[in-house]
Amino acid sequence: MQEASYKIPGGKLVKVKLSVTSEKIDRVRVMGDFFLHPEETIQVIEESLIGCKEDENSIRIVIEQVLKNSEATLIGAAASDFSKTIMMAWKST
Amino acid sequence: MEEFRFIDLKTHDAFTNMASDEAIMLTMKEGKAPPTLRLYRWKPSAVSIGIFQGMHDEVDVEFCKSKGIDFIRRITGGGAVYHDFTGEVTYSIIMPKEHPLALKDILESYKLLCGGIVRALSHLDIKNGEFKPINDVTVGEKKVSGNAMTRRHGCVLQHGTTLLDLDVNLMFSILKVPQEKISDKMISDVKERVTSIQEILNRHVFVDELRIALARGFSEALDIELVQGNLSTEEQQTAEKLVKEKYSTEAWNFSR
Repeated sequence: MQEASYKIPGGKLVKVKLSVTSEKIDRVRVMGDFFLHPEETIQVIEESLIGCKEDENSIRIVIEQVLKNSEATLIGAAASDFSKTIMMAWKST
Repeated sequence: MEEFRFIDLKTHDAFTNMASDEAIMLTMKEGKAPPTLRLYRWKPSAVSIGIFQGMHDEVDVEFCKSKGIDFIRRITGGGAVYHDFTGEVTYSIIMPKEHPLALKDILESYKLLCGGIVRALSHLDIKNGEFKPINDVTVGEKKVSGNAMTRRHGCVLQHGTTLLDLDVNLMFSILKVPQEKISDKMISDVKERVTSIQEILNRHVFVDELRIALARGFSEALDIELVQGNLSTEEQQTAEKLVKEKYSTEAWNFSR
């Protein structure tokens, strides 16, 4: 499990736990003290990221798409903060 | 003026406290519970974490077990909070999502409901309390109250803590900060960011003073009439079921 934490300037903390197999996301947990309504959207984000390659832009787009499809509101963090932290975890090995 | 049921300050364990908030929502969804303001304390003292946080990432579970401190996952986002039995009072406010005080915009909603805390502080002669987005109330830039909201079961729930007293050393023992990092610098950093009503007023403040101030504060800030009440039998039964099947389980508390 690779891990990274990112403190959003003036905001919340995002923490990612990541497992990568064959250069693709195998399992990911996006954690932290942000708010996301509805809360179950976090599981949808995590499932949708499975199979993603190491590309910050495409990871961010996947997250943004889930937020849009779930009509979800993310508060105290943005999709780009999640993708940034995922990349930090990816590079942490 | 809108009426709210007021469930005055009661003490429960962490599991019953969190289960009661959700039980009220579930009953309200069925149209069988009125908009509600609750005040409560936690005994034993407990640490609650946000729904997206990892228990082992945030909490020194072994330390808590050795001290008889409970640990629980909330249904709301936000951070880890230590609910000391004598050091804070928690409130929850629950209403249907169609209620006039349930604003659509989440930040506006925090601002409106946190107005109850700001008003409560003013009744304790703390006139410079202010809402600090996203979810805090501060006095002179220092946090004195943390709040968290969820929208589910057709309801808006906001609950939050207001600090009467603060033990930074104990907080650092409960929350997961590597021991080597607990330097004097970090402790002073927290003291610069967080305060308590007793520290601000520089005197002992009774729990009852805060209880009365919170009731008045919410009533005035939201222009609501508080009608004394209790959980219905149905709500209590739902809460007991939630304690057993959700809030006391490892599956829930350690799901992340």
